[in-house]
Formats: sequence, structure tokens, C-alpha cells
Amino acid sequence: MATDAQSVKVQKVEPSFNPVQDEDLDQYSDELAEYTIVDVDVHVDDTLMFMLDYMEGHFRKRLETILQVDFKGEPGNSLRNMIAHIAWLGSSYDKPPRAKLASKQELLKRMEKGIIDYSILFPSELLPIGYLPEPKWAAALATAYNEYMVDAYQNLAGIKIAIVVAPQYPERAAEEIDHHAGHPDIVSVCIPDVGVNPPIGDQKYWPIFEAAARHSLPICFHGIEALIHDNYPLRVAHFPTLMQVNSMGFPFTSMLQIMSVVCAGIPVRFPNLKFAVLEAGLTWMPFIMYRLDAAYLRYRTELPALEKKPSDYIRAWHIGSHELEALPGRGDLVKLIELYQGQNTTMWASDWPHLERDLIAGFMRYDMDENLRRKILGENALRFFGLPPQK
Amino acid sequence: MPQQPSPSSRSKRKITVAAVEDFPPGTRMEVQVGRAVIAVFNIDGEYYALYGRCPHQSAPLSRGRLQGTVICNAETGWETEWAYDGEVLVCPGHGMEYHLKSGKAFGYTFKLRTYEVVVEEGQVKLVM
Repeated sequence: MATDAQSVKVQKVEPSFNPVQDEDLDQYSDELAEYTIVDVDVHVDDTLMFMLDYMEGHFRKRLETILQVDFKGEPGNSLRNMIAHIAWLGSSYDKPPRAKLASKQELLKRMEKGIIDYSILFPSELLPIGYLPEPKWAAALATAYNEYMVDAYQNLAGIKIAIVVAPQYPERAAEEIDHHAGHPDIVSVCIPDVGVNPPIGDQKYWPIFEAAARHSLPICFHGIEALIHDNYPLRVAHFPTLMQVNSMGFPFTSMLQIMSVVCAGIPVRFPNLKFAVLEAGLTWMPFIMYRLDAAYLRYRTELPALEKKPSDYIRAWHIGSHELEALPGRGDLVKLIELYQGQNTTMWASDWPHLERDLIAGFMRYDMDENLRRKILGENALRFFGLPPQK
Repeated sequence: MPQQPSPSSRSKRKITVAAVEDFPPGTRMEVQVGRAVIAVFNIDGEYYALYGRCPHQSAPLSRGRLQGTVICNAETGWETEWAYDGEVLVCPGHGMEYHLKSGKAFGYTFKLRTYEVVVEEGQVKLVM
């Protein structure tokens, strides 16, 4: 019941035809001012039209052709939308419209609020390259993306970039890492992991890990909705709705790739290499850790390179909080983190400005001590990406 | 010492939202009372008010689109039908849907708190 002492503020408002963005930061600005905040999963407009100037030869010709295509009103510059339209024509009529990718100006405006200290930029349109069937085409797109991103986003306060590599062409991926590793704004190597076949621990990919280890660049696996590829996990044939593929595609992929990397002994061969998983949520982490431990008791001799049980390796992996599952109790996030012992490895991630991005209120609603909140909002990410504190 | 009235016996406060002419059909207002945020809508001359923050991640419901939604139940013979056209408030955060008139969340077991709205002397007032 309202009391007469309570202040009243009335404002006329208009309906929003795009998802609300950034208002959550304003809402919590006083509370957040005390924290170092690193948003470890941010996306900007990287539609294919921006790649054109960085393509040569027949791949440039191919891209020019793609840019003329129109898929149900979606211009041909969006690789993701093209694939999504083929897979699920009109499946989301009852939801808000798809969030637009953020322009550079929109990103800078968000940073100018002074709340977020660092934004780590990850590919958006380039995330499906992990399952493109032509290794050279995938690698050409990755090269163009990386050059575009460096040109457009270097030397901006608080903006850091993860380069993307095409895992199906490991030698070119290693060259890509060698080429960009010295740049002060490049802080990670992103491997788009959905549809990668064979799984990423396979020996064919080791040049990527060798190059990242050589330059002490952490590797981030970033998922995407599994769409039309033939590989595990979860192509359209298994899941008739976007809801199913979106909710399970990311964690299933992440568990597969973590298992693959650990069982291949990569953490033993490259002990200084750091790994993170983005956009897969958190709740499956205890499952994969302790499920592998249980099987390891029986099958250890299949994995003779391992020097300790699987969970002892996985515990060191960092993990982005997005898409934060809606746990029922305010104390449940702490309980979950305790289960996978992720106090020093969990990193806040928004996925801004994508439709499914997390508003920071979704994280702040969970009870935790200030020390842990400080770690998740920024300190863990500062350490993982090797960034100096700003506050 | 006089006794404090119990909470239930206190008269509710009427909070002026706007003059009727400033709050025409098809418009909406966000009202903040202390820390509480209330979304008030005028739909074809009827006023509806409900809690203004989505319990998922606190997005402002006053800014949600109004549309219909799909239902599928025994009454529809388990066929999917379009229903509640114009009465479904879609959260501008992630798309949760609420029945504007009852506050009921479609597909969930909870409902948002709703509030009475009255018109007195040409003023739209929120009762809470």
C-alpha cells in the first residue's frame, strides 16, 4: 500500500519496438559505480558488407554476389539471418523483433556512460563460420573480419577485440594469430565452436593451440544456434523450434568441446593456455566436470596423458555468465558457483545488443558477498584477458 | 496512546496519473511511487494498471508492445489459435507475455500485481 510520504513520478511512455538496451545500466548506475566491470561478450555490426573491402580475388567476387541477395527482406549481408530464414521461416512472429547489431556509435555511447570499464568484442555474423563447408572461404571471411575490426575498433578506450579463426583451416588460423597477436587491442582468439567436425581437441587443430600458447592469447569458444550444418550438435532435423536449438545448442556444444580438449590432453601439452566458454550459461558446468570424473575412474587408461582428473582441468576454464539461467532462489547462483568452484573463473557477460542479451539486473538480483560480486563483474576478466584495472 | 490502524484498515492512496484529456486511448504512462514502478494503459477508454517491472530481469513493462498471442488448450481442441488480440503485453526485454487485464503471465504460473484505476473529477487516479 502506498503511503503519502512516498514520492510520485509520472511520465508518458511509448511502446518499444526494439528490445530495451542499456537502461538497466542507468537503473543500477549508482550501485555499479563502485565496481570494475568487464563485459566479456559484446557484439557490434559485423555484417558481411563490412568485409568487402578486405576481400580479394574470387572470394571478393563471391561476396559481391552475396550482397545482392535478399532473403525475405533481410539483406544478403547477414550470414546469420540468411541461414535463420532458411531454417525457420517466420517462427518468431510473436516475439520482439530481432535486435539490430550495434553500430560503433552505439557502442561508444554505451561506454561513455562510464559504468563499463571494458567491452570485449566478439564476432556476431562470423560465428557460423565454424560449420561452413569450405575451409578457404571460412578462412577468408575470418581474415577480412579481423582486419576490419582492427581498423574500425583499435585505439578506443575500454574496447578490446577477440580475433576469430576458422578452425577448419588450422594452418591459416595459426598465421592469423601470429599476425595479430602483437596488437595491444587484441586480447583473445575466438573459436566459433558450433558444427566443428571433428571436435576441437582433434590433433588437426593443434596448430591453433600452439599459436595461441606461443603468444599467451587466451582462447574463447563462442557458440551460436546450431542451424543447418550436418555435424553435432543439433541440426534442424533434431529440433523443430528455435527455442529448442537455442537453449540446448550452446551448452551441448560447449560440453562437447571441453570434453574433447581435456581428453586430448591439450591442457597438459599447453599448460599456460587459458580457455573460456561464452554464451552457454552456467548450470551445466558441474555436470560435465563430475560426469567426466565418474567415467575417468573406469577409463583413465584411454587418456594416459592426463596428470589429474578431468574436473581439475575444467575448473581452470573461465566461463561467461550469459545466458544466465533464471535460478529460482536468490542464493542459488552462489550455490551453483560453489559446485563448479568458479569463484575465480566466472565472468559477467551481457551478449549486448543481441535479443537474448542479459540485463545486469538479472545478475544483481542474486545475493552474494561483495568480494564474489567484484570478481564476477570484473576482476576475473581483468586477469583472464590481461587487462589493467581502470578504477 | 492511540492505536496504530492495522494495514488493512488504512484507506488506500489515490495517486493522480493525468487528466483524462492527457491520457487518451492507445497511450500509456509509467508511474513511480517510492521504489515501485507501475505501468498504466488506456485501452479503448478503459484503464489498466499493473506492476511495471518484468520479474525476469526488470525490463520496463510500460514500454511493451500490445498484441495477441497463440494459445493451445482443451478449449481450442488442442489446436493453436491466435487469441487475446490487443490484450497481451510483451515485455520489451526478452518477450515474456502478460495478459494486460489480469496480469497473468502466459505460460507461467504467476501473475503480476494489478491495480485499480478510477476517474474522479476528470483525473485518472491509481489506487494503491
